[in-house]
Amino acid sequence: MKEDRSNKYMNPYLAGFLIGLMMIAAYYFSGEGLGGSGAFKKVAIATVNTVAPGYAHEAAYFAPSVENGKSPLNSWLVFEVIGVIMGALLSAAYFGRLSMKVGKSPKITNRTRLIAALAGGILWGVGSQLGRGCTSGLIMSGMAVNALSGYIGLAAVFGGGYLFAYFFRKLWI
Amino acid sequence: MKEELFVSGRNIPNIDPVLHVWHWHIPLYLFLGGLAAGLIFFATYFYISGKTDKYPTAVKIAPVIAPFAIAIGLVALILDLKHTLYFWRLFTAFRLESPMSWGAWTLGVIMPLSMVWPLIYIKDMIKYFESSSKRTTAVLKWIDGLLNDVNILKWVMDLARKYQMAIAWALFLLSIILGVYTGILLSAFNARPLWNTSILGPLFLVSGLSTGAAAVMWMSRHHFEMKAFSRFDLMLVGIEVFLIIHMFMGFNASTQAQQQAVALFWGGEFTAVFWGIFFTAGLVVPAILEIMELFGYKVPAFIPAFLILLGGLIFRFIIVDAGQITRYLY
Repeated sequence: MKEDRSNKYMNPYLAGFLIGLMMIAAYYFSGEGLGGSGAFKKVAIATVNTVAPGYAHEAAYFAPSVENGKSPLNSWLVFEVIGVIMGALLSAAYFGRLSMKVGKSPKITNRTRLIAALAGGILWGVGSQLGRGCTSGLIMSGMAVNALSGYIGLAAVFGGGYLFAYFFRKLWI
Repeated sequence: MKEELFVSGRNIPNIDPVLHVWHWHIPLYLFLGGLAAGLIFFATYFYISGKTDKYPTAVKIAPVIAPFAIAIGLVALILDLKHTLYFWRLFTAFRLESPMSWGAWTLGVIMPLSMVWPLIYIKDMIKYFESSSKRTTAVLKWIDGLLNDVNILKWVMDLARKYQMAIAWALFLLSIILGVYTGILLSAFNARPLWNTSILGPLFLVSGLSTGAAAVMWMSRHHFEMKAFSRFDLMLVGIEVFLIIHMFMGFNASTQAQQQAVALFWGGEFTAVFWGIFFTAGLVVPAILEIMELFGYKVPAFIPAFLILLGGLIFRFIIVDAGQITRYLY
């Protein structure tokens, strides 16, 4: 049996620095930064385009991604997120943390946690599209190129997080 | 399409210059056929070699997926036909030189036999599903009752038990034919350079065996069997990578048409999906996870199994889609 590494984590400053290097590489090779919500947006667009292609070509939100006739899934962000999942699997297996579980406060049920996660995910999805990106796409990639929207996004997301954390703390503690 | 009105062989909608006739049905069927071939191969191989007790899931439980996989695959195949109601015509002739004829007849024989095989082990299946699914157990018990109460079914099952070794041999050979045929179906199609390579036969067979091994690994509850199938799978992934490398080497050393076909995977539009999703996420990552497991890391078996199965499905979609747009030059 391997030594128990399940509580060992990388130094967060080092991890942040490495993400920064990744960001430079992403801009250099793909011309785009890093992103999380973008891949889900592309999956949503591809789904709509398959089910209702007529609507997808007309609606302002979907049309730009499907106009050229190529699959909206053929984008850097989709491959990046698949890479993130693969990397996470390998890293979790290496540190002995690879298992199926629901992370939550011990005081709530899995059901509550999953419903809350879904609700939060929906809000985050809508918010990220109104803000043209999520924490990684708007804030990190934006600040990496010194975009003002990135700094405003940073203040809004973390400020909003502090404001609302009090009301939802029971989901975690 | 009014074929009788064509005056030129150079302008045929959906066929020339780019084939656009095979959609999701064919790759889905090729995947399910390969998966069924893999499951039946392992079940019958370990039965024939007398290792049923060593690999109980492979022999007794996992083969139950095979008839369902073949049935869904056949529905997809029939849906793909333009004249759906004429599918039976494939069974009015047997042409030795036609892979489609081989496939139709192989499926016609393997389908009933693959239904009989799991029924022989229905009591073991009831035991397997008892702890996990009440509904499945109830259905299995009902079928078990039918097998005992209906005379003709009882007679069939008695016959099957009596001649199980003969059935095992028949299924063993048919599973190899089924696995190879899923590739030959494409490679016999000489009008498309990407498909016209004899490596596709063994490559699809090995990929099918690998998906079968992954399914057994996922279903097994015996530590020894799980580890053994993880090793089989690792070996099969190695062979698959070897065959893929040689397929590309062969194409690159071939005519300009073949080189252009393979360029789709070397910078062309299938590059990212082939190397990023199929090769990395569907072969390399599960292989690394399986190697880690061999070295004592804790890896839940379903994760590499799921990736292998997904990789196998995506591989067939890529080969069918990419093959259709490759063509000879003129």
